[in-house]
Amino acid sequence: MNSRPLMRLRLETAPTEEIGGLSIFPVSGGSFEGERLRGKVLAGGGDWVTTKPDGTFELDLRATLETDDGALIHLTFTGVRDDEHHYLRTLPRFETAAPRYAFLNRLLAVGVGDIRPDGPVHVIEEIL
Amino acid sequence: MNTRLLMTLRVTVASPQNIGLVPHGTRRTAPITGGDFEGPRLRGTVLPGGSADWLLVRADGVLEMDLRVTLRTQDGAIISMKSFGLRHGPQDVIAAIGRGETVDPALYYFRTTPRFTTGHSAYTFLNRLVAVATGDRRPEGPIYTIHEVL
Repeated sequence: MNSRPLMRLRLETAPTEEIGGLSIFPVSGGSFEGERLRGKVLAGGGDWVTTKPDGTFELDLRATLETDDGALIHLTFTGVRDDEHHYLRTLPRFETAAPRYAFLNRLLAVGVGDIRPDGPVHVIEEIL
Repeated sequence: MNTRLLMTLRVTVASPQNIGLVPHGTRRTAPITGGDFEGPRLRGTVLPGGSADWLLVRADGVLEMDLRVTLRTQDGAIISMKSFGLRHGPQDVIAAIGRGETVDPALYYFRTTPRFTTGHSAYTFLNRLVAVATGDRRPEGPIYTIHEVL
């Protein structure tokens, strides 16, 4: 399968509630950069993380991105985090009303993630 | 992105139920009547009950596909596959697909992102992976070439 780099996304998150297997991580900020777009992650999103019986985690993130030229982009992703196999992979989707970034509405993407001390980093590629 | 072939999945599709123009777009449901899948690590058939592709044509012309299929491996494992996808292309190409013609899949974008759930011990690796697929919309039904994302 062919892919093309889209962005490197860095998220600032903090845990809040643990609700019987569901952990909610509010998104407080972050940044993204790529050849076609760059900017910051706005506060207000979150990742609803479910712990599964096999010890892996199902991710469910929503966040708003703001490009350096002022466009807002709604980002969601689901994904898997399997610490035993060092595997963190997401399936990002984008929605925007900004004509310059409308290409995001028509693509599917894959993210390869890494948990750094200051938060997760996802390298996201467009599926060609 | 590194990937590895997981399986080729072919499904047969019955006539769609045209629900029509709903607030989100044009809604269409395509029941799946059967199919089969084959790959290095698993092979079997598609169970028709509860298998369908729930479709929505958006205002921008893009088709959103919400596919759910139940698979049964040759050794009896039941696997649920859910896959969100997008399909779009030049108007004349999409129209040809709609008329039931065989169209070169390189002429349109048909990509999906399968996820799997199973309780069978030989296939639990499927629960922990993310996959991507290219679709080829043949007249009798789509063929998905599904790759595991490594």
